[in-house]
Amino acid sequence: MATKMQMKTNVIRYGVAATTGLFCLAQAGNASAEVSDADFNALKSAVQQLGEEVQSLRQTNQIETQTHQADLQQIQELRSKLAETQQTAVEAKQKSDAVAEVQSQPPERAPIDEATVNHNFMMLGDAEFQYDKSSGQNGTFLLADFAPIFVYRGGDNILYEAGFDTFLGNNAPSSAGASTSFQLSFAQLDYVVNDYVTFVAGDMLLPLGTYSERSAGWLNKFPDNPLAVDALIPGTGVGTQLRGAIPLGQSGQFINYSVYGVNGESSADGTGNARALDLGGNVGQLSNGGIASLNGSPSGGGRLGYFVPFKPHYDLEVGVSGMAGQWDNTLDMVQSHVWSAGVLDAALHLGPNFEANGEYILTRYGSGDQGEVTQQGLFVQAGYRLAGLNLELPAINNIELVARYDAVHDGLNPRVERYTAGFIYYITNTLLFEGDYEFLHSPDPTQVDHMVLQLSYGF
Amino acid sequence: MKQIKFNRFSVPAGLAGVISAAWITSLAWLPAHADPPIAGTASTNSVAAAAPAATAVAASESHHLTGAELYSIHCNRCHPERYPTERTGAQWKTIMLHMQVRANIPVQQSKLILKYLQDNSGR
Repeated sequence: MATKMQMKTNVIRYGVAATTGLFCLAQAGNASAEVSDADFNALKSAVQQLGEEVQSLRQTNQIETQTHQADLQQIQELRSKLAETQQTAVEAKQKSDAVAEVQSQPPERAPIDEATVNHNFMMLGDAEFQYDKSSGQNGTFLLADFAPIFVYRGGDNILYEAGFDTFLGNNAPSSAGASTSFQLSFAQLDYVVNDYVTFVAGDMLLPLGTYSERSAGWLNKFPDNPLAVDALIPGTGVGTQLRGAIPLGQSGQFINYSVYGVNGESSADGTGNARALDLGGNVGQLSNGGIASLNGSPSGGGRLGYFVPFKPHYDLEVGVSGMAGQWDNTLDMVQSHVWSAGVLDAALHLGPNFEANGEYILTRYGSGDQGEVTQQGLFVQAGYRLAGLNLELPAINNIELVARYDAVHDGLNPRVERYTAGFIYYITNTLLFEGDYEFLHSPDPTQVDHMVLQLSYGF
Repeated sequence: MKQIKFNRFSVPAGLAGVISAAWITSLAWLPAHADPPIAGTASTNSVAAAAPAATAVAASESHHLTGAELYSIHCNRCHPERYPTERTGAQWKTIMLHMQVRANIPVQQSKLILKYLQDNSGR
């Protein structure tokens, strides 16, 4: 557009120059000679024509100037709109970035429903299925064990928990069909009195060692309990208990304690004969409907433990526990016999892939026919996860090799020893496939070497 | 009236019980459910507040275990670790109360583990 304007300006300049030239020529002619009327008129006409053309050009120039001004104004408006558009784009990008930032953050957690804060009911537990092949026997599928723990929390400090065990077995010999047993494993109320004291009441898991309290099927690395735990000490007792833990400094160390009083042991047949010792039957409710302890005094016991973590996955726990009380069914304290037990326990973790634990159990009790009977037993077990070898093989990394030695001498029969070797394959962190072979050294012909495969699930 | 006679195990067991009861009774007077210590701060426990300043400084400079560290320490002692996302916050509260009693975990440590689990829970 600027070029066009320049061209028009040049035309005007040339027109004025031509007119001036013609005028000079006319003056020159006058100087040299007289001008005729015809020439004068022709010249006048030419001058008028040129004047008209100049006027036309001026008008054209004015129009073009106006057009140019309009164009400049339009350009200014377009520039203004462009700036506005750019500002809008910047703001839109900022908003988009802010939205993306908000969306990239995790969603805000909704507050926990108040009702579930105040109370909550859950079912925890485990389930096991086994295949067993005993030496000299037919292999068989075995054990449909479903062991739920119903847990009810009332508020922050009260918990009621009850564990059950269901078993499937053949009916009595010469009877058809199968029977299912459903038994209460424990049922206890826990009340957290303060940071250091918890009151427990009911049919409680007894802290004689730690195995009894931490032996659910999927927690134990073997498909059966140590011989000494099953034979020498009670798993539960009906009574009350105080327990707790006290931190030592800020490094994670603490001591834990428990003291309890329970009905204690009793006699299976009411006599004081050694083989009548009943570790778990004195629950207060008699078979005839009466309510009484089967002997004249309750049993008392406790445990003192010390836990020290060196760093995560590296720790040691040791404990000493004991229990004592009358066991036979006489109400005469002078004639009664005393049962007592002492347990040493230890558990060691050396990294996420190695752990070992064990217990030593010593019990003594008086009897009418065998005198003082001393029993003792122990178990030591260890596990190593092959993930510690860093083989970068998923199937291998999920395997844990386990081994156990356990023995028991009940004071009435010869000593029994057992060596167990096996593996655990972690299908998930709660679904385990286990395989073990147990070498038994026992005078009992029914106790023979056997292989056990087990699928266990913790929930 | 029934005459109660004691056997030879009853006396030491009774003494142990009395001593334990006295000790526990003294503990029961401590503040109930004191807040867990927070890293870099002095404890709100009145016992710690009454301690000399030097002790408080030393305590603040020592390393306080976090909930995640305590989770790593305690939660695979008896079984494979359970993932925080497996349960809701309310469920973890119930489970931690159960485990606090069963595994003898100190209340303060249990609270820190619970907070870690709830902060990373399924919902």
